[in-house]
Amino acid sequence: MSEAVVVNPALRLWSGYLRLVARHPVIGSVVPFLPLIALWAIVVEAGVFPRAFFPGPTDVYHSFVDLTRKGVLPAYLADSIVRLAVGAAAGMVAGILLGLLVGLNELAHRALWPVLLFFQAIGDIAWLPLLIIWFGFGLQTMTFVIVYTVLFPVVLNTVLGVRSIPLDLHRAALSLGAPRWRILTEVVLPGALPNIITGLRNGLGYGWRALIAAEMIVGTSGIGFMMFDARRAGSVVEILLGMIILGLLWYAVDALILAPIERATGQRWGMVTR
Amino acid sequence: MNELVQVEAKPSMAMKRLRSALSFVFPLLCLVFLWEFTVRAFSVHPGVFPGVGAVLKAGAESIANGSLFLHIGASFARVITGTVLAVLVAVPLGILMGVSPGVSILLTPLFRFFSVLAGIAWIPIATLWFGYGFGAITFVIFNAVFFVVAYNTLLGVSSIPPQLRNAAWSLGATRWNMLWEVLLPGALPNIVTGVRTGLGFAWRGLIAAEMIATNLGLGYMLFLARDFYRTELIVFGMIVIGILWLLIDRLVLAPLERRTIERWGLVR
Repeated sequence: MSEAVVVNPALRLWSGYLRLVARHPVIGSVVPFLPLIALWAIVVEAGVFPRAFFPGPTDVYHSFVDLTRKGVLPAYLADSIVRLAVGAAAGMVAGILLGLLVGLNELAHRALWPVLLFFQAIGDIAWLPLLIIWFGFGLQTMTFVIVYTVLFPVVLNTVLGVRSIPLDLHRAALSLGAPRWRILTEVVLPGALPNIITGLRNGLGYGWRALIAAEMIVGTSGIGFMMFDARRAGSVVEILLGMIILGLLWYAVDALILAPIERATGQRWGMVTR
Repeated sequence: MNELVQVEAKPSMAMKRLRSALSFVFPLLCLVFLWEFTVRAFSVHPGVFPGVGAVLKAGAESIANGSLFLHIGASFARVITGTVLAVLVAVPLGILMGVSPGVSILLTPLFRFFSVLAGIAWIPIATLWFGYGFGAITFVIFNAVFFVVAYNTLLGVSSIPPQLRNAAWSLGATRWNMLWEVLLPGALPNIVTGVRTGLGFAWRGLIAAEMIATNLGLGYMLFLARDFYRTELIVFGMIVIGILWLLIDRLVLAPLERRTIERWGLVR
């Protein structure tokens, strides 16, 4: 970065860009997409692939405006987000409680750890056929899948977190006369929090994908359903639109929810490894 | 307490392995008993949840007529093809991107975006571009692994301390040495972690894609059984999927990750 001072306009532009990025990180994650979109538009305009097969950015934008005006897109988006939020919240609460139990109790750990690993390995999506038989094509099936997906990463990471707390801390708290309740709230939970957050991040990542898969296979609404429905109709535009929305949405979840929590817990409890 | 036990009788390596395997299997066996007991005690309808016997029978049947191995073979062929191709392309690309800080600043957001999309989100467009079958599914797996591995390689290369690179340069390393002895080993722990994460996504993507887009493979086996309400075959398939992934993850990926991290020791 600290090369000799060259008065080269391109270099100057570049260093200006770097300074801008350092000041506003948002710009750094937006600007790189511009050449990509331009390249995409050029390839489409040049007609390398048939347009129905590979539509351009303007087509996708038009379909975005169109679907938004019809109200389809906002409704589907809301459906997906509500499903994910409800499922993730339920999975997280259950996961943390179960994780505390398994992490703190040796017997529970011996009995449940292999079972947890096994059920995590089965994977959410493999449950779909059975769930469809049980609940039919509906909301229950999707909720189950998301809760299941979020649950396991949270449990496994909570257990790791709880068990990685040095025994000395327990003993110190005990010898200072802390009752069990306060050890839980003031030693165990804060100590395991960074791991719990990692689990939440993984769980949301997997849950998000599971939701899309579930919506494709059993769905009657949602972004995944929109994409798969578009596939049936052969409308590549709407598929691309769906993919872009999925990506953007994850960016939003990451930037607005996960990153702040991670920063807060990392700074507050200072146990983040980097 | 632990020390005492070790002094009294030092169990051999094999005994230790056996004991840890047993303590892993025992709870699962208990679960199987609980399952059978519940099914009998409440006389659960086999269409809702089958008993152990029915599942074993369905399993034996699918082994006897060879369909199980056909499905597993198809699934594995897709996973291996997609993964190997993805790693072969992603690692060189990741290193190329990581070497220059400018390129990595520009490309990191792009790769993050696409690694978020990895896997399942590509199924609709993959089936449209490649039709139902081997091409589409391998493409989905390729995608799931490619972006995650490339992104992790990039992170790995850019996390190599510049002092190491400068030291190698000043000792007269050629570009080739640099690649083999600094960049690749330095990024290896990240690459392996990337492969493990990517395969995790790819495996789920595989099952989902097979449910939608093919006529062979484990996911298809489950979904076909659903069409005939054969819950015992579904449960058997789920168990097979669970065991296969546990084997892949615990016997191949986890040891690989551990060993690379130990060997190249960038871990603190």
